[in-house]
Amino acid sequence: MKVSMFITCISDAVYPRIGEAMARLLAKYGVALHFPTIQTCCGQPAFNSGYWEEARASAKTILEAFEDSDFVIAPSGSCIGMIHHYPKLFEDDPILLAKAEGLRKKSYEFTQFLVNVLGVTDVGATFPHKVTYHPSCHGSRILGVKEEPMMLMRNVKGMELIPLPFAEDCCGFGGTFAVKMSDISGAMVNEKADHVLESEAEVLVGLDMACLMNIAGNLRYRNKPIRVMHLAELLFEGVEHA
Amino acid sequence: MTETHQAWLAQMESESRAKQEQFMNGIAGRLGHPRLTTAPPHPFRGAPDFWQTFGWSSDERVQQFTDNFEAAGGHVHRLSDMQEVQSFICSKAIELSARYMIHQNEIELNHLQLKEKLEDVVVSQWNSESDEDWIARAAEADIGIVMADYAVSHTGSIVVVSSKDKGRSVSLLPTALIAIIPLERLKTRLGEVLIDFDEAGREQLPAGIHFISGPSRSADIENDLTIGVHGPGVVFVLIVG
Amino acid sequence: MSKTDMKGTTVKGRAELALNDDFLRKAVKFTTERLRDGKRKASDDLGNWEEWRERGRQIRLHTIAHLDYYLNQFANQARLNGVHVHFADTAEDAVKITLAIAERKQALSVVKSKSMVTEELHLNQALESIGVDVVESDLGEYIIQLAGETPSHIIIPAIHKNRYQIADLLSKEAGETLPPDTAILAGFVRKKLREKFLEADIGMTGCNFAIAETGSMVLFENEGNARMVSTVPSTQITLMGMERIIPSWSDLEVMATLLPRSATGQKLTVYMSGITGPRRQEDGDGPDEMHIIILDNGRSLQLGDPEFQELLNCIRCGACLNACPVYRHIGGHAYGGTYSGPIGAVLTPALNKNIDQWDDIASASTLCGACYEACPVKIPLHDMLIYLRRRKVERGLGDKMESIGMRGFAAIMSNSKRYENALKVGKLAQRLVVKDGEITSKLGPLKGWNNYRVAPSLAKQSFRDQWGTMEEEIRHGLQEIDPLVSNRMEEIVRNREAGGKGHD
Repeated sequence: MKVSMFITCISDAVYPRIGEAMARLLAKYGVALHFPTIQTCCGQPAFNSGYWEEARASAKTILEAFEDSDFVIAPSGSCIGMIHHYPKLFEDDPILLAKAEGLRKKSYEFTQFLVNVLGVTDVGATFPHKVTYHPSCHGSRILGVKEEPMMLMRNVKGMELIPLPFAEDCCGFGGTFAVKMSDISGAMVNEKADHVLESEAEVLVGLDMACLMNIAGNLRYRNKPIRVMHLAELLFEGVEHA
Repeated sequence: MTETHQAWLAQMESESRAKQEQFMNGIAGRLGHPRLTTAPPHPFRGAPDFWQTFGWSSDERVQQFTDNFEAAGGHVHRLSDMQEVQSFICSKAIELSARYMIHQNEIELNHLQLKEKLEDVVVSQWNSESDEDWIARAAEADIGIVMADYAVSHTGSIVVVSSKDKGRSVSLLPTALIAIIPLERLKTRLGEVLIDFDEAGREQLPAGIHFISGPSRSADIENDLTIGVHGPGVVFVLIVG
Repeated sequence: MSKTDMKGTTVKGRAELALNDDFLRKAVKFTTERLRDGKRKASDDLGNWEEWRERGRQIRLHTIAHLDYYLNQFANQARLNGVHVHFADTAEDAVKITLAIAERKQALSVVKSKSMVTEELHLNQALESIGVDVVESDLGEYIIQLAGETPSHIIIPAIHKNRYQIADLLSKEAGETLPPDTAILAGFVRKKLREKFLEADIGMTGCNFAIAETGSMVLFENEGNARMVSTVPSTQITLMGMERIIPSWSDLEVMATLLPRSATGQKLTVYMSGITGPRRQEDGDGPDEMHIIILDNGRSLQLGDPEFQELLNCIRCGACLNACPVYRHIGGHAYGGTYSGPIGAVLTPALNKNIDQWDDIASASTLCGACYEACPVKIPLHDMLIYLRRRKVERGLGDKMESIGMRGFAAIMSNSKRYENALKVGKLAQRLVVKDGEITSKLGPLKGWNNYRVAPSLAKQSFRDQWGTMEEEIRHGLQEIDPLVSNRMEEIVRNREAGGKGHD
């Protein structure tokens, strides 16, 4: 079984600790992740902005990188969601379309893989903090990843999971939207951060570093000492702690 | 005037018919098929299958209708016969100091003899004379009274259909509305009523079919619920039987 | 042009104005939250919401796929009912027909109930230009008509006005000062509009659904004004988009289940009226003459277009507006078209062929998919927004700087060596601005971002830089895989290879 890590460009370049947490956590279940270095970015920034030719250039590295993998796992519902767009992106090229279909079927967001494939809902972590969870839009709406993270979180010992008000509202990131429509995006992230503060949690956890970077950046800008973590990171830390 | 108007309408119609052909050919062309001239099989007609067989008992229908209609701001009373309906209407008329009332020209309502019972109230029967301004009669009425042709408990709706003897204005223009539902006309689902219109077919349908689910309302000013914006602001439903 | 005018010409500028209007933001937020909660409760109470939604989608898909048959059937049946049916390719054609009828009838006044189609046509101005007095009779529409504005929400048109502003507008109309009390203000409107209904020569309505088999039209409303308009005046004119069709009354059950719940959380609107032709000869009320004008105005352009045909499935409930986090912050007017919110962001450019004038309306979305999730007929609006952006780029109308940036993106991301080099260059370049692992500078490309946030720096060592040593360590302490898990994994792979759909 070849289980490959799709690190995603943002975790690779900015948050390598997420990849590490994922790899070390999965090793505990006997999964030795494989990391093909020819991968770059899923192409979403270009795809969402309408630059499909450019998106294809990037996406081809992903198709190639994971061609002989049995499972592909990424710490992002959004980047896996992008892979779900590949068949549309390559609809005019039968060879790449077949590869795109193949990749779509074997791609998993991290918690999807942990819960639905490995059958793990309790990693044995302890994390004695107040935590609130932001369900990122692409993961929860496009991929339907809703229950998996909840199951994992409910089984963390000592952790108080506080509901985030208006949790399902978008944080305002939206890729190039955050720059193109910066004031609207700013209003949205302000509101999201307000809700995080309202929850009185010490830690904000999520499944997508792009959204978390957005919210964390706003909380830092406002000097709010809330720790922002990817769930893989929280679980790994909790296991080590236990 | 009438003749030239008819001629103008005829002219418009012939233009419209020519345009219609062009319109439909354009649509078929864009959809990439030859003009469809027979009804396409429609495998998704109506509500989902699980809903088609759903039904409540008589007591549940009354309860659900009452809950829904009252939640919408209406009032519901369960009465045993038309005698009680008569007393209810008479006491309501006095309580609300009604001066004008109008009811549909229906046998059940005519039998209530409201004219005789309420001497101080001007009671009219819709469209019972030809040279009367019936819309004005309905508009001035404090209370309009109708028999519901159907009612739907799932949505808390009464259904009234128009005819020579049943004005659309009677359930619309008065300040208050009283609607009487004979129990056997109270259905569970909307579909039980709608199917009748499909089965009746175009030629049998009345001009107006109205589902009414409470008093007229609006939340257009700062989301503040206001009752009785254009239609009746007070609606009583009397379930009989 | 003044600065404010300049701002009003782009989505970005109009949004900025809206974001600075505190009342507007709060009002829109409050209203959309109320409607959204109502919808959630109503769909939960109903049960099996996903099955209803799928049914609604199937009915709409089926009708639109056979629209030539159903629309033709509707027109023929309506004629047999005594309706005068007209067809209009464009907004101008529809206006021309309406004015011709008004002139023929020597109409002095028209009362209207809510109709988004007439907003598309700017019909009120046209009627006023030939001296016809036009009165909007929906309370919210009446308010914005007095204010000389356009609706900012499909369902709650005056969402952006507060009671004091409304009291001022109505006081002018009343010729006396009215207190900012909802019941009193609504009471004034009731009395004022009663007179208008009773004296109007023409009543004008929109159309929520048109039933092909019987040539009937259906109106959903809460106030009773649409019933007034279609009962009292002697002539009725109904404007309908050509896609409003459903085959039968039975299909109406599905629409009646989805529309009010999605719009306001009601089980049914207070009034749902099915109108089948003008008054019968012996009837005591109802219009003597009834016209239905069927409008294309760009709708047929979507037919046969696999990416946009589903737009015609829209039942105009406004649920996507209420769910949209962008709409909630900027309100309807920022979209700059007749239709606002996610549906407006797609529909406005789709109905108009002038791609170069699309402005950046399709950019005003994070693609979060809340609109799709809220849509009672499952229109994939978030995907359509991407298709619009792509079409603009394909026609060479993309932003020049962005095009250059995206070419750079493709050059770097198409090759992992170039990507690794870019990371190295980035790490060097950021030294100028990074402090404690963060970038706070508001200069250059990070300005928009850093006005609201700090940016993280690139990691000292990327994941791929660390992987070599990390992998060795991990393999060293690797646990044994549970044979049950490994069997399951093998089975998943086998199923997939046997043509299964995969895990979704």
